[in-house]
Amino acid sequence: MKKNKKVLLTKGQEGHLSDLRRGQKAVVLDFHNDNAALRRRLLDMGITKGVVIEIKKIAPLGDPIDISLRGYELCIRKIDMEGIDIKVI
Amino acid sequence: MKLALIGNQNSGKTSLFNALTGSNQKVGNWPGVTIDRVEGSIKKYHSTIVDLPGIYSLSPYTAEEEVSRQFILNEDLDLLINIVDATSLERSLYLTTQLLELNVDVVIAFNMYDLVEKKGIKIDIKKLSNELGATIIPISAKTGKGLDELKETIFKKKYLKNKHKKIYPSDIEKFIDDTIKFYNHPWKHKFHKRFEAIKVFEEDRDYKILLGDKLKAEHLLIEKKYAMDGEQLIASLRYDYIEKVRDKCVTYPPVKETKSDKLDKIFLHKIWAIPIFIVIMGLVYFLSISIVGGLTNNLISALFNGSESVKFTIGSFSWNAPIKLEGLGPLIARSLGNIGASKWAMSLVQTGVISGLAIVVSFVPQLICLFLCLAILETTGYMSRIAFFLDRIFHKLGLSGKSLIPFIVGAGCTVPGIMSTRTVEDENEKRVTIALVPFIPCNAKLTIISLISAAFFKQIGFLVALSFYFLAIVIIILSALFIKKVLKRKEHTTFISELPEYKSPNPIYIGRDVWDKTIAFFKRAATVVVFFSVIVWTLSSFTPSFQYIDGSKFTIEQSQLKYLGDGISWFFYFILGCRLDWAASVSALQGLIAKEQVISSMEVIARTSGAASIFAPGSPFAYFNPITAFAFASFNLFSIPCVGSLSAMRHELKSAKKMFIVIACELLFAWLLASLIGIWGVFIK
Repeated sequence: MKKNKKVLLTKGQEGHLSDLRRGQKAVVLDFHNDNAALRRRLLDMGITKGVVIEIKKIAPLGDPIDISLRGYELCIRKIDMEGIDIKVI
Repeated sequence: MKLALIGNQNSGKTSLFNALTGSNQKVGNWPGVTIDRVEGSIKKYHSTIVDLPGIYSLSPYTAEEEVSRQFILNEDLDLLINIVDATSLERSLYLTTQLLELNVDVVIAFNMYDLVEKKGIKIDIKKLSNELGATIIPISAKTGKGLDELKETIFKKKYLKNKHKKIYPSDIEKFIDDTIKFYNHPWKHKFHKRFEAIKVFEEDRDYKILLGDKLKAEHLLIEKKYAMDGEQLIASLRYDYIEKVRDKCVTYPPVKETKSDKLDKIFLHKIWAIPIFIVIMGLVYFLSISIVGGLTNNLISALFNGSESVKFTIGSFSWNAPIKLEGLGPLIARSLGNIGASKWAMSLVQTGVISGLAIVVSFVPQLICLFLCLAILETTGYMSRIAFFLDRIFHKLGLSGKSLIPFIVGAGCTVPGIMSTRTVEDENEKRVTIALVPFIPCNAKLTIISLISAAFFKQIGFLVALSFYFLAIVIIILSALFIKKVLKRKEHTTFISELPEYKSPNPIYIGRDVWDKTIAFFKRAATVVVFFSVIVWTLSSFTPSFQYIDGSKFTIEQSQLKYLGDGISWFFYFILGCRLDWAASVSALQGLIAKEQVISSMEVIARTSGAASIFAPGSPFAYFNPITAFAFASFNLFSIPCVGSLSAMRHELKSAKKMFIVIACELLFAWLLASLIGIWGVFIK
């Protein structure tokens, strides 16, 4: 599978959570997601509007990603991060 | 009193449950160890306590959340003990805010408080307790600190009553009140009105139809005002509230790189993570099979069966110690002979009971070692890392990293392996995992692997043993891909899991885990295996007209077992290298009862034939060569699992039909694979 051309986001730019590189921090702006269970799960895990997320670790095979938020770490797949809009801080 | 224990996954819930009740639940450092709810009792206070599966929310989407939610809503509970991982407070208190909406009192146990202090996090417990409106007791379930205070608070009822604090903005609180007051419908659970009114606001799956016209308008207005739908709004507001409370009561030290981050730089390294994983698993099996197994296997066998000398092996080195042992079996047989017992009674004890038992017991030390290693990997948090970095591979197979847990548990025993598929959220993913778990060699199958690799592959024995595991992995990958192709499933699986911090292993719990598994293995050996060993002995020691086969007038070729085996030996014709062998056939058949039974049966048959061991001259299995042995083992490893696993499968698949389809496929597959290996063996000769 060929990787999509990666958009590099810099401070202040908006994009998807999946576009971030390791060490970048961003604030969550909104969700768009039609899978109700997934959406609810993300909310329950603390991914709500305004929360700050940092990309901590990336699995050796490139996916999933370990993010840090609300004082803990969460593993999540890139594909599920695509539905989360963010702004880099 | 009736209590329930509830908390996030991996919050130490099961540890606390064990500490309170003294019972042995399995504890691990990966999310989701409690499979179903478990009940225990605290006799001193005449109380029962229910351990619910770990959840993050009372939403209805996963099986665990559904189980916990229904239980809490329907059961008449005196108190909820909410266990909170104090090191990740924000996320943990999210569930707490939901629990406090129920009409039950809640006591919060702040677990891992020793770690909080170590990290330099300062929590004003009294203030926080006031803010939340619930009693908080700091504890460490691991060291036992704070447990007495927790018990006293609970059983002397020194805790705060649930005040149902209003934590939402006034317009939402008004909606909640209005819903409770004016909307006249039969509540599903009349005791939990606030909880249910909030579910109405969230438009929860179970409460959608309950919204009336007037309230609908009010609801719409609020959603518009905050620019979020009900579900999103409630989740955000809960977290807002928690942040506010946190800022008042908790001070964090400046952020620095944690120990886990440093360790993850090694264990999750881009290049080295997978080699490290392979080396670790290789070492685990090398240590268990080649070192511990090599040092003890022959010794135990000699203690039971007697021997002129004892062979110790470590990897490729072996040493024959000139220790002469009479052995338990011969000793008892001799004593029986002295008091005038008949020849067949002596043989029954020595061959039927003792030899059958010995072959299984001789594997106990290496299994203990294996259980120990796996328990250490589990409690330290390394298993969670494996699930994390192998998820990409599982994802490609239409599964998730969470399916790894059943496979690793299944390497111990298929039954709990299949049971632990309950932590796999997606129903399809779960079914596929259930179908594939039996392919992973369990410890009973390990006895077959160990026997074959020691007898035919001596120096490279541990490599052959490992090769069975790799073969199992290849089969699982191919099957999963095949299922994915055939069923054309939509790729909608997710993997959202907490990455726990590394923890030093807790010897008490590792000890308990190893002890439980060993005892379970031993119990089966002492009951099922001995029972069937005696049956095999009987069938192999008597002719159809019940004449005792003493080796002179009659031989084992005239036994009942031979006639039985002849009836099914066609099935194994290709597997055994184009040979009709009744003895191997009946032994494989017994794998259905328990996989240990395969080698136990072979041992009894060999000894009844007068051979010194399974593959020794004079034994019906003396013709086995490395390839026949590999083919025979492959069939036993990958065909139908034992009856215990079948019942677990039926239970988890919730359908006997599905179970039969799965086992029919497994049987066909194993037969084809083993036959191909067997035929190949004939050709290269």
